[in-house]
Amino acid sequence: MKTRWMVCALVALGVLLAGTAQAQESLVVYSSVDEENAKNLLDAFTKATGVKVRFTFLSSGPAVARIEAEKNNPQADVWFGAPSENHVALKEKGLSQVYVSPNAKELAAKFKDPEGYWTSFYMNPLGFASNLTTLKQKNVEPPTSWADLLKPEFRAQVQTPSPQTSGTGYNMVAALVTIMGEDKAFDYLKKVHPSIQTYTQSGTAPSKAAAIGQAGVAIQFTPAFLQLMAEGYPLKVTFPKEGVGFEAPAISILKGAPRAELAKKLIDWFITIPGQNALTDAKTYFFPVHPKATLMAGLPAFDQIPTINYDAIWAGKEKKRLVDRWINEVLRTAK
Amino acid sequence: MSPQSLARWGSRTRHDLRLLRNEPLLGVGVAAIFALLLLFIAYPLVRVFLVSFFPDGVPTFRLYREFLGSWFIQQAFLNSVVMGILTALGGCLVGFLFAFTLTRTDIPCKSFLTVAAILPVISPPFVSALSIILLFGNNGLITHQILGFQEFAIYGMRGLLLAQVFTFFPVAYLTLRGVLESLGGTLEDAAMNLGATRWRAFTRVTLPLCLPGIASALLVLFIESIADFGNPLILGGSGFPVLSVQVYLQVTGMFDLAGGAALAVILLVPSVLAFLAQRYWVARKQYVTVTGKPTRAVLKVVSPAMQWVLFGTCMAVALFVLLFYATILVGAFSRAWGVDHSITLRNFRYVFGVGAQAITDTLIIAVTSSPLAGLLGMAIAFLVMRRRFPGRRTLEFVSILNFAVPGTVIGIGYILAFNQKPLLLTGTATILIANFLFRYIPVGIQSGMAGLRQIDPAIEEAATNLGASTQTTFRRITLPLLVPAFFSGLVFSFVRAMTAISAAIFLVSADWNLMTVQILSQTEAGRLGAAAAFSVLLILIVLVAIGLIRLVLGQLFDYRYQATFG
Repeated sequence: MKTRWMVCALVALGVLLAGTAQAQESLVVYSSVDEENAKNLLDAFTKATGVKVRFTFLSSGPAVARIEAEKNNPQADVWFGAPSENHVALKEKGLSQVYVSPNAKELAAKFKDPEGYWTSFYMNPLGFASNLTTLKQKNVEPPTSWADLLKPEFRAQVQTPSPQTSGTGYNMVAALVTIMGEDKAFDYLKKVHPSIQTYTQSGTAPSKAAAIGQAGVAIQFTPAFLQLMAEGYPLKVTFPKEGVGFEAPAISILKGAPRAELAKKLIDWFITIPGQNALTDAKTYFFPVHPKATLMAGLPAFDQIPTINYDAIWAGKEKKRLVDRWINEVLRTAK
Repeated sequence: MSPQSLARWGSRTRHDLRLLRNEPLLGVGVAAIFALLLLFIAYPLVRVFLVSFFPDGVPTFRLYREFLGSWFIQQAFLNSVVMGILTALGGCLVGFLFAFTLTRTDIPCKSFLTVAAILPVISPPFVSALSIILLFGNNGLITHQILGFQEFAIYGMRGLLLAQVFTFFPVAYLTLRGVLESLGGTLEDAAMNLGATRWRAFTRVTLPLCLPGIASALLVLFIESIADFGNPLILGGSGFPVLSVQVYLQVTGMFDLAGGAALAVILLVPSVLAFLAQRYWVARKQYVTVTGKPTRAVLKVVSPAMQWVLFGTCMAVALFVLLFYATILVGAFSRAWGVDHSITLRNFRYVFGVGAQAITDTLIIAVTSSPLAGLLGMAIAFLVMRRRFPGRRTLEFVSILNFAVPGTVIGIGYILAFNQKPLLLTGTATILIANFLFRYIPVGIQSGMAGLRQIDPAIEEAATNLGASTQTTFRRITLPLLVPAFFSGLVFSFVRAMTAISAAIFLVSADWNLMTVQILSQTEAGRLGAAAAFSVLLILIVLVAIGLIRLVLGQLFDYRYQATFG
């Protein structure tokens, strides 16, 4: 009896010790790009440069919380993915460091921090996805403008991420403020409230609800729509003609990164043409930011989409105030 | 404290310390457990609390003032408490129904019902909510296609309560089944032999004897429900805010660690109050039913007609459980879950390609943490109930504390506490194991204590009088008698190590990843089939593990209790 317990305890101890063993030296990445895409993209990077990479998937909220909690002893070198607004937040918290890649001069100004704290490496427009089966039952065409969503047929049919919780939701609010002006935008958000079935907590939840027919229309960034269409769901993507925002996911090197030199290579490579073409080769449904990169077949040309001039730095600074206003004015009208 | 009571307390403590001196090993054990609990439960929480009081480096109540004055947070607080109470009541009702029916009646399909009552404890995050939407949503199988509702508002209070009761009733079932089993039917038989009606025997004998178990189950469910954020995150939406979700959002949506910590402290208040109320209510009653004397019951407290009513109700719930898992299974094998149900294996090919490492990692961590959690849980229950030493109540309180805190906060507390030498644990398996171990012992402790309340201390005293030490008594007498409680503690911690995500998401690393994080990543990316396939795998692993735990416990403690495993 006694020996059996001893054996159990020793095994447990062994596993604990094994867990603490150090792994080999390679670039450590917190990726807010989903697991499969991150794996394909980072594998392509390793193949091209020989730099080994180990990554952990963390959506943007947990990633920032974790980087902040670990700031006295950073575990990772870079944060890979998540819209540039979040990298603005990281910069303001003093958790990232400057690196201006020599290749960054090819990129438009909106795709890089003026001081060099972050560099965008792909982008996605915001769009509508309609479930064609559901909308046929309701006898209504997919919406092609923000105003269309006010139609009574869309009552409790639309899902959109909450700006309080999701970068996507906030991107929508900030873009509407840019298009309409702040007060008009909040008027619109109040008016569209009856059409909203639920404000989801996650930025990618609406697409799933639309895919399975729980909602008629989903509002979010397009890659998950295109992925779901490829899986066989009856969705159609449209863009509101008044204009939409876009996200430009970026890379930041973390302050105190133990392997900053390797991290710089990561940024350098992803904004070269081969690095940008990796987005297409890996079937990510992401839009390249380099003007000369190849666009994936099936993606609408980016200049055909009514994207607005969205200022991520302004949006990052105004976030708390606009979200509080949204909670107090829009959400409260629900009561 | 009055001078007299202070003096009384002093002399009691001195007396307890003297008892400890006679049993040095007991003292060492108590000290070791205390040290572990302080390090892995109290210390990370203290780090979090400090952050909430020093958001800008100087002590301030600013965050608390802001939150307590906000209508949104007030609403969320109210919703949390109401939801916690309703979930606890509903979950206990369904759990008791199953436990009672399975131990007190002689109905067919018992093994099917047993499985159905445990199964929902294994609810893979995110995919479960999707399954509920597919069954009960606007386009849901039950609400739309069977009952013909045009629109059924699944988001908000109604949908959430449904999901919460469904997810948490197995916890109540596991606790109450253990209690009802050790209770045996003899006392009910005796009452009826003395002329009591069935109803009277049930209300005056069975129910009162189950009270400690029911109180434990209510407490666990209440605390778990208000700390849980998986279901409310998806089904609550912004229209039905609850506090646990707000904590998560404050940290991950607003990037406000200090604010999230302050909200977590507010969330702790109802949990701590519930804990104290349960203590006060149960501690004053005496319930000994396992006396070492022979017990043989004849199962007649339930009338034949009632038996079929109970059977029907349980079957209805069980069918719902079945439907829920069938939905996930269908998702795992379909081309497009919910739309194109032609059968394919590509989801599983994908899962074994991308997620093989996560599967082994999850297994290693769960297999290491759950036996440790089970044993530690029983040891703490035994020490708190049966041994006298200073700080006994504190020990119990600290051990349950982690359970009441939302996982997000624990996850962040762990990073804050264990990211520097000499306590550098981030990025290792140890930090994940410690997290699961200390977060999920309370269920083992609570069911262990509920079980111990029913076992006559005379049995253990007899062992001690015959010369057995504390650890021999614990190993040879108490543990075997507690096997049902031990079983539920083990199963619970294993299941949670496999399915929990809120704390773990902050602790996974490139070397140690978990299946739940994979499920999250796949749902985020829109690969619903892959997420369902991961979930099916996860459920299979847990079922096999439950079978193995049963087998091993049966081998280790070849007792009559063997027959009572569900």
